[in-house]
Amino acid sequence: MSLLVARRLTVATRIGGTIVPVIRGLDIALAPGKVLGLVGESGAGKSMIGRSIAQLLPPGFGVTGGTLEFDGKDLVRMPTNARRSLLGRDIAFIPQEPLSALNPVLTIGDQMAEHFTHLGVRSQPQRLARAVTALEAVHLRDAADLLTRYPHQLSGGMCQRVLIAMAFASRPRLVVADEPTTALDVTVQARIVSLMAELQRRDGTAVLFITHDLRLAGRICDDVAVLYGGAVVEQGPARVVLETPRHPYTRCLQLANPALSGPRRALYALPDQMPGLQALANLHGCHFAPRCPLAGPECRVTPPPLSGNARQVACLHSPLTAGIMSPVTLPRPPTAVAADALLTVRGLAKTYRTGTFFRRRDTHAVVAASFDITPGQFVAVVGESGSGKSTLGRLVMGLERPTAGSILLAGQEVTRSSEAARRHRIRTAQMVFQDPQSALNPRRRVADIVTAALAAAGSDKATRARRAGELLAEMGLAPEIAARTPAQLSGGQRQRVNIARALCILPQLLVADEIVSGLDVSVQAQLLALLQRLRQEHAFAMLFISHDLSVVRHLCDRVLVMYRGQIVEQGATEDVFAYPAHAYTKALLAAA
Amino acid sequence: MMPRWMRSARVLAGLGLAALMLVCAMAAPWLAPHDPDEQDLLAMLLPAAWQAGGDETHLLGTDGLGRDVLSRLLYGARVAMTVAVTASFGAALAGAITAYVAGYLGGWMDWLIGRAIDVWMSFPPVILSLILMTGLGTGARNVVLAIVLVDWTRFCRVLRAEVIVVTQRDYVTAARLAGFSHLRTVLKEIVPATMPLLVTLLTLEMGIAVVVEAILSFVGLGVKSDQIAWGQMIADGREAVYQAPWNLLAPVLAIFVAVAGFNLLGDGLRRSLDVRTLEGRE
Amino acid sequence: MILLAALGRRLVTAVPILFVVSMLLFAALRVLPVDPAAMSMPPNATKDEIEAARREMGLDRPLPEQYVLWLGRAARGDFGRSIHHRRDAGKLVAEALPGTIELAMAAMVVASGLGLGGGLLLFMLRGRRMEPVAETATTLMMSVPEFLWALLFIFVFGVALQAMPFTGRLDPGMKLPGITGFLLLDSVLAGRPDILWSAMVHLLLPAVALGLAFAPPIMRVLRASLIDTYHEDYIRQARLRGISEGRILLRHALKNAILPTLTLMGVQFGFLFGGSLLVEVIYSFPGMGNLMVDAVRNADLPIIQVVGLAYCVVVLVINSLVDGLYLVLNPRLRPR
Repeated sequence: MSLLVARRLTVATRIGGTIVPVIRGLDIALAPGKVLGLVGESGAGKSMIGRSIAQLLPPGFGVTGGTLEFDGKDLVRMPTNARRSLLGRDIAFIPQEPLSALNPVLTIGDQMAEHFTHLGVRSQPQRLARAVTALEAVHLRDAADLLTRYPHQLSGGMCQRVLIAMAFASRPRLVVADEPTTALDVTVQARIVSLMAELQRRDGTAVLFITHDLRLAGRICDDVAVLYGGAVVEQGPARVVLETPRHPYTRCLQLANPALSGPRRALYALPDQMPGLQALANLHGCHFAPRCPLAGPECRVTPPPLSGNARQVACLHSPLTAGIMSPVTLPRPPTAVAADALLTVRGLAKTYRTGTFFRRRDTHAVVAASFDITPGQFVAVVGESGSGKSTLGRLVMGLERPTAGSILLAGQEVTRSSEAARRHRIRTAQMVFQDPQSALNPRRRVADIVTAALAAAGSDKATRARRAGELLAEMGLAPEIAARTPAQLSGGQRQRVNIARALCILPQLLVADEIVSGLDVSVQAQLLALLQRLRQEHAFAMLFISHDLSVVRHLCDRVLVMYRGQIVEQGATEDVFAYPAHAYTKALLAAA
Repeated sequence: MMPRWMRSARVLAGLGLAALMLVCAMAAPWLAPHDPDEQDLLAMLLPAAWQAGGDETHLLGTDGLGRDVLSRLLYGARVAMTVAVTASFGAALAGAITAYVAGYLGGWMDWLIGRAIDVWMSFPPVILSLILMTGLGTGARNVVLAIVLVDWTRFCRVLRAEVIVVTQRDYVTAARLAGFSHLRTVLKEIVPATMPLLVTLLTLEMGIAVVVEAILSFVGLGVKSDQIAWGQMIADGREAVYQAPWNLLAPVLAIFVAVAGFNLLGDGLRRSLDVRTLEGRE
Repeated sequence: MILLAALGRRLVTAVPILFVVSMLLFAALRVLPVDPAAMSMPPNATKDEIEAARREMGLDRPLPEQYVLWLGRAARGDFGRSIHHRRDAGKLVAEALPGTIELAMAAMVVASGLGLGGGLLLFMLRGRRMEPVAETATTLMMSVPEFLWALLFIFVFGVALQAMPFTGRLDPGMKLPGITGFLLLDSVLAGRPDILWSAMVHLLLPAVALGLAFAPPIMRVLRASLIDTYHEDYIRQARLRGISEGRILLRHALKNAILPTLTLMGVQFGFLFGGSLLVEVIYSFPGMGNLMVDAVRNADLPIIQVVGLAYCVVVLVINSLVDGLYLVLNPRLRPR
């Protein structure tokens, strides 16, 4: 008997007068004590399933069909009070953003006490004792002291532990975890995952684990269901599904993920990205067909049913899936010419002064950083949040004034912020920003955005229009995009425009800050392939700032590892990954 | 398709009322049934035409010197609208320039402007404008000057915060990296992004200016005494509230309608021009 | 402890502001084409007598020196003599200040009550059919400044219904107890319920007029910040824990949403304090407003100067208190 069962569950919203499904006829079952992974890219509807359980769907969304049963009772049609008494007691939730999921003006103790009041613990001393026990169970030290703290005084990992403690405090039968580690640093991620696994085994809790990360799902789930466009395309035991995928989508996702070990291989880049809700609703047949390498006309007639027993697949061509292969050759980096360094950084430091005149606090964002980049070389900077890797990039670009050290760019000293240094830097180095939403002026057309550097240099309109056309073609974007505004583009298209702008006057060095993070795996694979192709055509060097080790290994020749503002290790990527020397690098690799 | 702000009921209602006021002000000589300064000592303090003892030629009655209230009301709109428009544009200009300088450049300029705002904010605006009017002397031009000198901070405070938010957006950094000068970056990237807020504040300020002008005229420190102002009409009408209540009620209503017009327009614009929806932040 | 430290810090920054304000006031008022010496003398005084008075008042010295002289005297509590009332300016202000503070406090209570209640109501109406109506109503309410409310109240309650008194602070014939100057407090201290009642009745219309004018912005900010707060993850997480909606509103949302509202209320109090001037004039309420308007009409410079400073001091004190309260309610600003 399953604990949580969805039967033909359909969730829909209304867009411009028509009802558009977000989840279409979902069938899943979760047995007591098991871990079920819901895997898919953004827009697959996986979070909607979690929110349907609590019936806390975003405004305008609602369950329009099917049932969602917990322990034999339908959660959808249950009265609110009955559902509320299940929530927090029998069904608990672990959120995505631990720092914002705790109320900032209440202490940890207040919030835990409130939770135990809800659980029916009457006396305050008892509530306190229970809170301390719960915090100790998630291996938080000084539990009594912690109860007097406010969330902003704790790290993200500690907040997530507190939330996990609250979730497991009532020994619930079901825990729903929606991307519980996405907002955390790699090393913290690993510890949170093992903590959840430990508590899950201790209590025999069933866990619904929602994630975009195939590798993570493979590690902790008993079963997985792969979602595409609001429906399950493949489900079964996690090991089996992820080792020998039978649906082309699962297979392609795996091939799009760069590997952390083994031989480097080219990535499989699925075309486009998951269509929007309305486009999906208008599709006939298999929803994956427009992007599928195996699709034929027969796929566009009716949606293929989910068939099979323990292992279910919704595809007409599942036997052919194993035949989908990545391109054989990895694009080769241009052969290194023995040349002088393009960028030479020596003893670079940045210290921020905060606090009052009397009580000054210095934050050392970057400490004595020294490294070189030769022409055409891709150098990665890896590290966790707060390690100073973004500051390093901003220093190189002259967006921050260094406290000490020197920067030599293409033979010219640019440490001091003079107008001459600025002019030289503009010609030689450009930056690609992390968040295309913020990096592209929403009031401008794409053509103006990508040729801003030409406009600043005083080029005429015709030259700019021609260059815009060239750049868009190079980025693999359709020409009509030139007339659009950023709001009319998809996330992947925006990031391409973002890159195009930086390449407009063909700089020798690109500084790229987390440019593929936050994108779906398939879009990420497209962008990585694009960067590799552009590199071959234009032979620019890149300082690639990233927290994702597998991407770095795939793309970069050298790697700098930063920890608390210091470069603790640097070397050729393969060497560093195979034989890490510094303890921190080892920890990072072990956690990834 | 019409832009969104044209379709808001609030904006249309506000525009309608503001236009009504402007038309009254501009066409006062043609609309007014009487010369507003013409005294008729035989018909003093007449009540409104529909009240007992009212006179049909004086729709809203007459004041203590037998002058037609409706005509004075229409002429009063001239001062009110002139002051509202010029003072709010002046305050907007002064406040916007300081806000862009403080918010974009930061550093000691920001510090200095911030402290100036602190000093200004430690004064209730009414008190500050009274003191300024004492120093400047009466007259419409000085009323405008006093409002600008007091209310630039309203613009600067709100706009500065917005400028700081926009300045931190990566596209502003990108413009600098593309090689644009500071001035061009401000004019082309930051000013357009903050324009909706500025327009909204400007509209709301017009309502505030109407009120301030009325207050100053009410205590006798506004326009020169030979000019007709609503504030002065209220002060005079207060004495006669028992015999001719419309002497008081008419200018009170006029102020309300004018301010409501500007407020509805401002609120409507704020909603439909909301920058945050365009930039995807909330 | 935190509150005291914050108050201290805030007051330390207030002192330089006060200095600058006094300097500006001094400079602004010396530009006037009025000769305080001539005004302080009887009209039949000779030129020499006026000259002597000028020397005595220090008006022949350069402006910075005059300022230092004035500051030195002010530090000893001597703010000069009122030209019009021929009395000590500091004393006049000390008599007028309690009435104005009493009025402003009462109005702030009205404004806060209406503002917070109205804000909650507006928030509850979100997404319903009544919402646009209620919002337009607040916009219209915002279009009625305090002096229009004051006039309308006089018209309705004083003239049409004749239900409420609308001049002064007390019924004619009652004598001020004169202990602290705060009537509500004094009448209790003196054990005079009749005076307390009379003072409350007289305070009601002006305080409500003033409060009504300043309530709508509070309503709007509370509503907006409640809506913002409800988008936060911790509200959803509280719901996912099964916490009831009422508890979420009162314990989780309101505690966060009150912070921006509090900041606004601090600013509003400054405006309201200024707005009391008009209301005082309309209700012939003896206080700083009437003193100021009289002084302005008579070009009574010493009074204008002290009254200006007094307004400034009260605003700075209130702002410091609000900042301190903000710090107490917002743990994020406390050191780690």
